[in-house]
Amino acid sequence: MIKDTQRFKPFTRDPIALVNEHGEWIGSFDLDLDDDQLRTLYRDMVAARLLDERLLLLQRSGKSSFAMEAAGHEGIQIAIAHTVKRGFDWLFPYYRDHGMLLALGVPALEIFAETLATKADPAKGRQMPNHPGSKKLNAFTVASPIASHIPPAAGAAISAKIQNTGQVVVTTFGDGATSEGDWHAGVNFAAAQGAPAVFVVENNRYAISVDLQKQTGSENLAVKAKAYGMPGYYLDGMDVLASYYVMQEVIERTRVGAGPALVEAVVYRYGPHSSADDDRLYRPKEEVEHWKQRDPIERYRKFLAGRSLWDEAWEAELREEIGTELARALEEAEAAGPVPEVWMFDDVYAEPLWPQVEQRRLLEEELGA
Amino acid sequence: MATMTLVQAIARTLDEEMARDDAVVVLGEDVGKRGGVFLATEGLQQKYGPDRVIDTPLSEAAIIGAAVGMAAHGLRPVAEIQFADYVFPGFDQLVSQAAKLRYRSGAQFTAPMVVRMPSGGGVKGGHHHSQSPEAHFVHTAGLKVVVVSTPYDAKGLLKTAIRDDDPVVFMEPKRLYRAVKEEVPDEDYTIPLGQAAVRREGDDLTLIYYGTVAPEVLQAADELEKVGIRPHVLDLRSLMPWDKEAVLEAVSRTGRVMIVADAPRHASFASEVAATIAEEVLDQLEAPPVRVTGFDTPYPYAQDKLYMPTVTRILNATKKVLDY
Ligand SMILES: Cc1ncc(C[n+]2csc(CCOP(=O)(O)OP(=O)(O)O)c2C)c(N)n1
Repeated sequence: MIKDTQRFKPFTRDPIALVNEHGEWIGSFDLDLDDDQLRTLYRDMVAARLLDERLLLLQRSGKSSFAMEAAGHEGIQIAIAHTVKRGFDWLFPYYRDHGMLLALGVPALEIFAETLATKADPAKGRQMPNHPGSKKLNAFTVASPIASHIPPAAGAAISAKIQNTGQVVVTTFGDGATSEGDWHAGVNFAAAQGAPAVFVVENNRYAISVDLQKQTGSENLAVKAKAYGMPGYYLDGMDVLASYYVMQEVIERTRVGAGPALVEAVVYRYGPHSSADDDRLYRPKEEVEHWKQRDPIERYRKFLAGRSLWDEAWEAELREEIGTELARALEEAEAAGPVPEVWMFDDVYAEPLWPQVEQRRLLEEELGA
Repeated sequence: MATMTLVQAIARTLDEEMARDDAVVVLGEDVGKRGGVFLATEGLQQKYGPDRVIDTPLSEAAIIGAAVGMAAHGLRPVAEIQFADYVFPGFDQLVSQAAKLRYRSGAQFTAPMVVRMPSGGGVKGGHHHSQSPEAHFVHTAGLKVVVVSTPYDAKGLLKTAIRDDDPVVFMEPKRLYRAVKEEVPDEDYTIPLGQAAVRREGDDLTLIYYGTVAPEVLQAADELEKVGIRPHVLDLRSLMPWDKEAVLEAVSRTGRVMIVADAPRHASFASEVAATIAEEVLDQLEAPPVRVTGFDTPYPYAQDKLYMPTVTRILNATKKVLDY
């Protein structure tokens, strides 16, 4: 059964927004975040943007092989990090969520180490850049195959329900992911079980070059929830406060047993799909510029300035502080040194079987020679 | 005659086949407006329009499954799977529908279609952008399987695959897409499936390979020649059917054989070739057939270059085979 949350209605015609483009509050309720909380949202969005820039620089300078930018996605990502119970709820992120994970508390050191495949990487250099994960923070390690994490997310939520843990499982993915069979299989199962799962699509209108009109015949992605018997919230994901309040309500509604929900967060990616892409082949520059006018950080800066919670000096201080933290983390990640070659034979199974033992010996001989 | 890379040869061949036969259509993720993420379909949508070059939703099940329906209904679809690693969401359609349609309908319905996919490692793509899953396909009766390694072969074999009346999985090693340029004739030519290419003539040892490992195998062959050992080098090119005759002939003559491929060792195509050799020409062998393969691990990110057979690994194995 589709139940509304308290403040927000599912299936709205327009994306839910609480701050307009001039940075003015347009919500119909009173803001109840204190100044510190309001400024932390800003700080974390800036940190996400700066991390994004660093990761791209690592690729450009040849230190890493690949980068996927997330600039434009910060509003919804930071809102999620601040509305889950950190280290208690589970997250099933996708490859554009490094900023979200940083805000969740994944150390920048680990993100850089994953990018550079050094010994400080908890995944031991097995994954390509932009594929972090953290057991400590219940953030499921990112997998490249689109939507392959949706059924596992449903399973984790069903497990939380069976074990009555009170946890919510929040899963993110792009608009393209909603076309995969795995997506439907996972969402349907979670709904049939009334599991505590929140599915969030970071809809940036493109799956590499394929635009939304070619991806789906639906008017938007939120409406897909209706057929599964769950509410679908249509949200301005570049409005961090709207994202915060919608996610908060949806997560808590789900936590108390109301079943899963879908949130469509409308965002835009400013950069190409990845460092291997050339977006000039499929979208006009003017379109990118148009969306940049809605930038989550700039819009929210106006909001904060309007309440005297932002000034140039604080901005400079903030950037300096984050920049130093990131630089230190990167240094530490590099200093850990590259993962040893023979690590590739570990963790295939709980204990290596004879093929891994034999093949490891073969490689050692080859490298020793 | 033009000089081109492997990926250019693919794009050129698709263009020629689409011009030749209106039934040929191309479908896949990003194949239209963007011309494919590797540009293997560059320019085709501008030329033939969005009805014949279809940007699909992000679903491999939809791509392969729809290709089956299109083929049964009279088209000649050429589907692109963006990376071989992403065939798995479409695997059911490939195995349950494409491979078995002719058989289960008593040949009333057939699926003359091609499923192209970039395969193999060496591009720092990690386990989900580096796999060579050919063994799965060969293990599925009803699918023909091609793995190309040169621009010339890409053209001749892709033409054959498109004109073939059965579903053909067509694997393109992505690290070779732009690795070499070669002259590719302008005229229409085809290369039959099941015919190996002789890359070097020799009597001392047979080196059998296909796909991604071509540069390492050919370099190892050069090294051997420098020290007076003359290997007979065969590129299988097509795995179902595969050129058993050429293999058995060469092995019988040289008495020593190695099979080199990048896919994991267990239940690999290299194992199939080794087993066939052992069964059919054991009495001609002077040493056991040796496989040099990828490791039985997922494809690692950090050890990208060490996972697949290196020149050193090939040469070390050669020593064992020659000194046996
Ligand atoms: C199963 C699968 N098919 C294809 C790909 C190749 N691929 C990587 S990202 C991508 C587009 C994803 O778009 P979307 O889900 O909208 O997320 P976005 O990248 O826009 O954030 C594709 C097709 C893949 N990773 N997995």
